[in-house]
Amino acid sequence: MFKKLIEESTGKSPWLFHINAGSCNGCDIELVSVLTPRYDAERLGFKLAGTPRHADIVVVTGPVTQQSLNRVLRAIEQVPEPRCIVTMGSCPQSGNVFRGSYAIAGPLSKYVHVDVDVAGCTPKPEAVMDGLVLATKILQEKRRAMK
Amino acid sequence: MSTEFVRHFPIFAIMLYFLGAFLIVMLGKVRALRHGIAFVATAGPLALLIALVKPIMIDGGIIAYWMGNRVPAGGYAIGIALEVDALGLFFGLLIATAVFVSCLYSFRYMERDDNVPQYYTLFLMLAGGVMGLVLSGDLFNMFIMVEILTFAAVALTAFRNRANGALEAAFKYLVVGCMGSTCILAGTILLYAQARTLNFAQLSALIPGNLGTSTKLAFALLFIGFSTKAFIVPFHPLAADAHGAAPASISVLISGVLTKSGIYGLIRLTYFLFQTMELGTMQFWLVFLGSVSMFVCVTMALAQHDFKRLLAFHSISQIGYVLTAVGLATGLGVSAGLYHAMNHTLFKGLLFLAAGAVLHETGTTDLNRLGGLAKKMPHTTALFLIGAASISGIPPFNGFASKWMIYQAAYQKAAETGNIGFALVTIIALVTSTLTLASFVKVSQSVFFGRLPKEYEKVQEVPFGMRFAMGILALLCILTGLFPGLVTKYLTEPAARAVFSVGTYINSMMGEGTIILQNPVVNFAQAGVWSPINWLFLLIIALLAITIVAISGKYDRVREMNAEKPEGKYDLFFGGEESVYSQVGGEDLFWGFKHNWRHYFGFMHELHSGVVNDYALWAVVALALAIVYATIVL
Amino acid sequence: MSAILLDALRYLGYILIFPGFLFCFLTGLLLCGIDRKLVARMQKRVGPPILQPFYDFFKLCGKETIVPATVTSKTVFLLAPLVGLASLVVLQLFIPIFSFRAFGAVADVIVILYLLLIPAVSVIMGGSVTGSPYAGVGLSREMVTILACELPLVLVLLSVAKTVGNALDTGLCFSLTQIAAFQAKYGSLILRPSMIPAAIAFLLIIPGETGNHPFDAAEAETEICEGMLAEYSGAPLGVYKLNHAVKMLTMTSLFIALFFGGIGTGIEQLAAAMGLTGGAAGMVVILLDVLVMFLLCVLTTAVGISFVHAVTARLKIEQIFKYYWTVVSGLALISLVLSWYGF
Repeated sequence: MFKKLIEESTGKSPWLFHINAGSCNGCDIELVSVLTPRYDAERLGFKLAGTPRHADIVVVTGPVTQQSLNRVLRAIEQVPEPRCIVTMGSCPQSGNVFRGSYAIAGPLSKYVHVDVDVAGCTPKPEAVMDGLVLATKILQEKRRAMK
Repeated sequence: MSTEFVRHFPIFAIMLYFLGAFLIVMLGKVRALRHGIAFVATAGPLALLIALVKPIMIDGGIIAYWMGNRVPAGGYAIGIALEVDALGLFFGLLIATAVFVSCLYSFRYMERDDNVPQYYTLFLMLAGGVMGLVLSGDLFNMFIMVEILTFAAVALTAFRNRANGALEAAFKYLVVGCMGSTCILAGTILLYAQARTLNFAQLSALIPGNLGTSTKLAFALLFIGFSTKAFIVPFHPLAADAHGAAPASISVLISGVLTKSGIYGLIRLTYFLFQTMELGTMQFWLVFLGSVSMFVCVTMALAQHDFKRLLAFHSISQIGYVLTAVGLATGLGVSAGLYHAMNHTLFKGLLFLAAGAVLHETGTTDLNRLGGLAKKMPHTTALFLIGAASISGIPPFNGFASKWMIYQAAYQKAAETGNIGFALVTIIALVTSTLTLASFVKVSQSVFFGRLPKEYEKVQEVPFGMRFAMGILALLCILTGLFPGLVTKYLTEPAARAVFSVGTYINSMMGEGTIILQNPVVNFAQAGVWSPINWLFLLIIALLAITIVAISGKYDRVREMNAEKPEGKYDLFFGGEESVYSQVGGEDLFWGFKHNWRHYFGFMHELHSGVVNDYALWAVVALALAIVYATIVL
Repeated sequence: MSAILLDALRYLGYILIFPGFLFCFLTGLLLCGIDRKLVARMQKRVGPPILQPFYDFFKLCGKETIVPATVTSKTVFLLAPLVGLASLVVLQLFIPIFSFRAFGAVADVIVILYLLLIPAVSVIMGGSVTGSPYAGVGLSREMVTILACELPLVLVLLSVAKTVGNALDTGLCFSLTQIAAFQAKYGSLILRPSMIPAAIAFLLIIPGETGNHPFDAAEAETEICEGMLAEYSGAPLGVYKLNHAVKMLTMTSLFIALFFGGIGTGIEQLAAAMGLTGGAAGMVVILLDVLVMFLLCVLTTAVGISFVHAVTARLKIEQIFKYYWTVVSGLALISLVLSWYGF
């Protein structure tokens, strides 16, 4: 029963940690707009956490520059299990307009397993919400797989 | 009264210290012999005084002991006398305990120093001086003992004279300490010239009621003299320097024992010799001085970044509590004050020993350079935390029990007299207590927790002997906090009753009927409710229940999903960076507080110039004010 | 013998179920959920479900607990949240719920003032052992917040003690039981003009003590990564969140017990009017007491925490200190002076 309760709860209280890996700030403000009264992600239990230790879902924006690569990976490692990694915007998936630059180390999926990609430059808040809800489902499954 | 046999115990207690000092000079070159003598010379007096608890504290007797059996002839006391009432015994017990523990600690702590035999000689001289002071029944003997202890303390402050500032600190202490001693001598002379006797009991019978100008002057001189010994404001900077420089085991004595002798002197002076405590102004001044010491020194402590200097300022702050409580002149107040004096000896001793342990292992007490020692010295950390919780008044440790009584005493006094000023004292005391907590949070963060600097990777736990000494004090801290009822019943209330029984004191010394003085009814009733043992019981049950729930929920098991352990995962979160350079210093930790009080701190910074001339000037000004007060009001 | 056993069982029930651990757990988290919902509604959001704090708590229980390598003492790291919770639960036992008191003669108001420090100190210790720089900054701010709240809280408690003492002719009264009995007899303290500033001051202290907006500089998640909790994860973090919720309950119910104690008489009269007698009446009164107490706690939370949260932005730490030591302390001081001269 207790296990079931935890599983249920895992799906209802996903906390986000947001990493900016060299983003142009477009996705960042769009992520914040998800939390505004209009969309209010908090009704689904979403909350921005201050530190990776508290987080369940890591949202990465930006094309993962050489400078930020180690920091991003380190921060992702510090998130306790079960965790989900969501990339937001086209940059972390493909490099977008920065593709081919000497300063870019991305895409992120070269280094870690990415659970959900939300594409777009920038993605609409509805798309972000959709991606996050999907990530929550994956999170719940990961929790179920845990002993 | 007391049996013939026990009557000799006080003089034995004093003599054992001096005898030990003398023997160590002769035989102290051999380590085992030196330690043996020191142990016997410190454990002996403690045992003797504990044996006196029954006849004096419980049965309410007073030991009047005339050296060479020179009893008063023709109503005049000529011989040298010891008089031990519950008050004297109370302070005697504190002193003997602190000295004993400090001596145990010194065995291992001082072994790396040069000239260890001289250390023990001076140590025992200091102990004997203080013990003689509190057991003496004679004003001139008190002066002699003050001299012995001052010089021993000065020499011990300068003992590690290679250390930065030790000689300077000793010099400052010497200058102002000697001003204090001179004041005591001058006061004694003036009193002798008036009353033709030096016996305390006889003076107490003669002086109140016939105050001339010179006796008033004597009061001012003695008051300032004992104040310098207690290091109350404005004599507090000396203590800071002396504690910072002296070995930790000596700091225990300076803070736990020397300052108490000053408080003892002030009690004897105001309650017995001049019996001025019925005066509203006298109460006001003691409470005022106490509150100012309390608050000024705790804020000074917040600004320190040296472990021992910080403790030194706290020590005066706690003495401020004692003085405030004693100045309330109510049964509960005096009882609370004495209780706090006892607790202060215990927890401050513990804290100084912990600081000594840190110094012993790392070679520094600078808060900005230390950190993370809890990993290397877990026992010392635990003991330190007990001391810190005690001094900050965290229930159920002893500091809380006595502070809580002080708040009540002050507020009761306020309610009785209708004077809102005493309510202010309660507020200052409570705020000071929180500031103390803040200060110790800072110490624990920057010394024991936080990050361990690379240079201290090889630090080890201190030897068992030192931990054992600290353990005794920690145990006493917990016990006296858990059983406030027993402590007040058997220790502080008899002592407080003795404070109000001047008539009995005089008569048992000078013979029945010397003076007819009714002992006032002393009220120890408390308005509040606090039973630490019940609370602790509840807490333990709750904690156990919660822990069981937590453990059955696999609270402490680190769940693993990944087979390999990435390095970064167990590193600190520092914005994704490697966390090597992430130490937060302790110096300016309470910026939010300091910023709002910046003008006050700036003023204090200017004031504490560190120049001995300034401090001597403060002493002179204080003396002048005391003289003005005495001549006008008394 | 069996009487002793029965007593022991009763006390154990007090500690574990009501008004101890289980009660604190349920009502505390519920209060927290209501607060979040209210804030959301005030900001024209839908807001999380009322049970959101429960979900958060259970989710955190299911997460991995990472103990960073820099932690200087693993015991302190793991035990600190539990000690904080235990001390809060025990503290809750001493706060009278109108006529119902689990343990009367253990601690008075001044002691409670100090017992409130223990959870804060345990958070500070827990943060401190991690060695995190964010925790360092956080604990410094937390300590300053405690300092800031201490002065007005002392003033409020002393003025309450004086007012009750004046009326009882003892001059002062620290005992919570007596304060509750006094209010049951002479009506709530809030009805006295001298107590109104103190009540307002206490209401303003509540968010500071619990570390809620706008006095949450110590746990500012956007600037110092939740300060002392920065390195906590999994179940210990969940316990900290629970501590925060229980502290909200403790502070609000202390507020009710100090200023609205007179409502208890109304409940008893109600029970009497319903014609209940004997043991049943006792049970109904207790149930009603708890219900009314909880509703009043919700009301206090709505006014003192949620509303303030919804309309303000976070203050800087020195502003918090200044605010408490001037405005709030000033209010409390007015109360103290008024009660001193018998108003």
